[in-house]
Amino acid sequence: MDAKTRIGYFVKNNLVLVTIMILAAVTALIEPKFLTVANLGNLMNQFGPLSFVALGMTLAIIGGFIDLSVAGIVSLSAVFTISMIDVLGQGGALIAGLAAGVAMGLLNAFIVVSCGALTQAKALFITYGLSAVYSAAALLYTDGATQHMSHLASRTDLFKAVGSGRAGFIPASFLLFIIIMALLHVFLTRTQTGREICLTGANITAADLCGIPVKRRITLVFVLSGVLSAFGAIVLFSRITTASPLLGANYETNAILAVVVGGTSLAGGRGSVVRTMLGVMLVILLSNCLNLLGVSTYLQSVCKGAVLIIAIWLDRRRVK
Amino acid sequence: MDRQLSDVILSVEHVSKAFPGVKALDDVSLQVGRGVVHGIVGENGAGKSTLMKILSGVYTKDAGTVVFDGQTIEKTTPMESLRRGLSIIYQEFSLISSMTVGENIFLGRFREAGGMRGTHQKAKELLEQIGSSIHTGSYVSELSTSEKQMVEIAKALSFQSKLIIMDEPSSSLTEEELAKLGDIIRQMRSGGISILYISHKLDEIFEYCDVVTIMRDGHVIDTRPVRELDRREMVGMMVGRTIENEYPERPHFVGEPLMKVEHLTTNKLKDISFTLNRGEILGFVGLVGAGRTEIVRAIYGADKVKRKEIQIEGEAVKIMSSRDGKKCGIAFVPEDRKQQGLVLPFSVESNISMANLKKLKKGMFLSPDKERKMAEEKISELLIKTPSPASVIVNLSGGNQQKCIIGRWLETEPKILIMDEPTRGIDVGAKYEIYMLMKKAVEAGSSIILISSELPEVLNMSNRVLTIADGRITGEFDPEKVSAQEIMNRAIG
Repeated sequence: MDAKTRIGYFVKNNLVLVTIMILAAVTALIEPKFLTVANLGNLMNQFGPLSFVALGMTLAIIGGFIDLSVAGIVSLSAVFTISMIDVLGQGGALIAGLAAGVAMGLLNAFIVVSCGALTQAKALFITYGLSAVYSAAALLYTDGATQHMSHLASRTDLFKAVGSGRAGFIPASFLLFIIIMALLHVFLTRTQTGREICLTGANITAADLCGIPVKRRITLVFVLSGVLSAFGAIVLFSRITTASPLLGANYETNAILAVVVGGTSLAGGRGSVVRTMLGVMLVILLSNCLNLLGVSTYLQSVCKGAVLIIAIWLDRRRVK
Repeated sequence: MDRQLSDVILSVEHVSKAFPGVKALDDVSLQVGRGVVHGIVGENGAGKSTLMKILSGVYTKDAGTVVFDGQTIEKTTPMESLRRGLSIIYQEFSLISSMTVGENIFLGRFREAGGMRGTHQKAKELLEQIGSSIHTGSYVSELSTSEKQMVEIAKALSFQSKLIIMDEPSSSLTEEELAKLGDIIRQMRSGGISILYISHKLDEIFEYCDVVTIMRDGHVIDTRPVRELDRREMVGMMVGRTIENEYPERPHFVGEPLMKVEHLTTNKLKDISFTLNRGEILGFVGLVGAGRTEIVRAIYGADKVKRKEIQIEGEAVKIMSSRDGKKCGIAFVPEDRKQQGLVLPFSVESNISMANLKKLKKGMFLSPDKERKMAEEKISELLIKTPSPASVIVNLSGGNQQKCIIGRWLETEPKILIMDEPTRGIDVGAKYEIYMLMKKAVEAGSSIILISSELPEVLNMSNRVLTIADGRITGEFDPEKVSAQEIMNRAIG
């Protein structure tokens, strides 16, 4: 194999990484400050909320589903958690918020399984419907009013640490993301339950006939997606110190974008949370680069859509 | 005979068609006379459907000629065939359930029919012609199977069809509906329309058909007037194969009863009871759709049942899911390898290990070393041809894929191995190896339930055979003592 084909292989197998490098190079050329330590810290900070939601979405997609309810989960768990701080104290509120994510994930799974909606398309509509329910519940719960952390009587330093604390130049939320990602990676690749999730996602009939408890695995996938979305919500409102009941809007689109761009297959079964990290990185760099170029937000959405379509097209090609 | 030669509507000459690995039709010739009801019989896989699909234009023939109504047909499409006057009524109807009866009959031809009013008017006339009073404004989704068939027939008549091919038209009709279908067939015949009647059910062939063609393994065995034949002779021609050394010597390790199934009842199955003995290969013979697969799926826990009582080794067991089935020591090799058996984008080793993940545990984690070892053992034991255990299974041949599935289950050391069509689409050499694996499994003390549409396979491998028809067990035979004809007779019901 000569050098040329070797480079060709590398590009083909690491398309995301190559794109990230190109984007980084372009950005660095336009804005020399891009390569400073301070900006690196900023970039890591941008991983923030989306990266957690995207981790949950990765699990859902590997398990054979697309969880569209994450937008609703982010909104509802954010306003719920803030409202609980004065009731339960900040530790209690944090746990209550995560528990709300678990509960919504369980409800998703319960409805998907009990409706027998065990195909991606059917579950897509169910979670879409539930997203509307959760968003509406957030509006009802708050009467449509934005919740402010500054209006609370209790201490909120724990949340502030999660949202914007730093260890040196590394944001706390980024560290948490790396830890959770590493744990999930080991879970998916090295444990029996993780393998069973992949097998269920790739061929649910074959997995069921091999005695794998597919319904329980599906439930687990939705619960993890729910709790990670709730955690993303907590990072988000802690950072901006307010939570509107519409906080989570569009989170599902960006999460799916990051997962698919990372290279997790929409066909289910194959993918990895590490790839999703690269996907998130690409999405962040892309908007960073477009911002620097002065591209309008509307056009940026067009670019994101185009990237998603290209990623799906590449995924299809890989399957064949 | 003279009349047939002078007045032939369809003439098929030396037609062949091959698919990768199978010769579906080999030098097939037949002639259908005008106004004749012509039956085609044969076992599953005899080539009936392939022939039909060539006639309608779904497949293209590799060789031979087809002459329809004096015109030589080279390439055609389903719509062109219809326009020429050749209609096909498939087993699975091709009606659109969200549209009305009238719209279905004149689908895509509303203008020709004279708008919506003309469509319904003409549809009504056509339906009356065959003695049906279905309202043309009803939605197809509201119709019974028999009514849908009437609509299909009316649709065929609307094209002024000269030949109507009916594929297993009786498969889901009640006795009464069947009688009505008979009337319509006779009426169409007297109107000069030819009918090609494809069926498994010999009773219907004898009742409706003038001439019958018997097919087997892609060949035409014979074409004869029905009155010259009797049932015995016909079945003999359908199944009579001479086979040498295609099968290993029949294993004989049958011991005491291992599993007792009683009163197994589902929507389709009617009070199935039987016993499986230790070390036995028990064959299920029946037509596709008779309920063979339903029985084994119900036993394994893959489908819901209304009632079942199962005892394994004298103890009553409750099997509510596939998981329970596996825990009771049952292994299940499903009929559809790609959809139900394999995880195609995964490696050979993870396909083998997927029913044995517990064995791979080392503390909390799965051990890649143990997985590799398990796969390597099975690869050498079952002679699986693969570049490496890490190769993606989709690239293996059908036979090797099937061996991986069997290996996956042998690793669980099952008491009972259920094999549904284990050799479908597999070449002869790999088939023999799978038979040897079955023999080895019973030698090691397992019992096997074997389902196969290939009669010789079941008869040569089984110690005992149960015939299944219409959701019931209709007979029990010793394949060494009873002829294939007798067994097939019982299976046809």
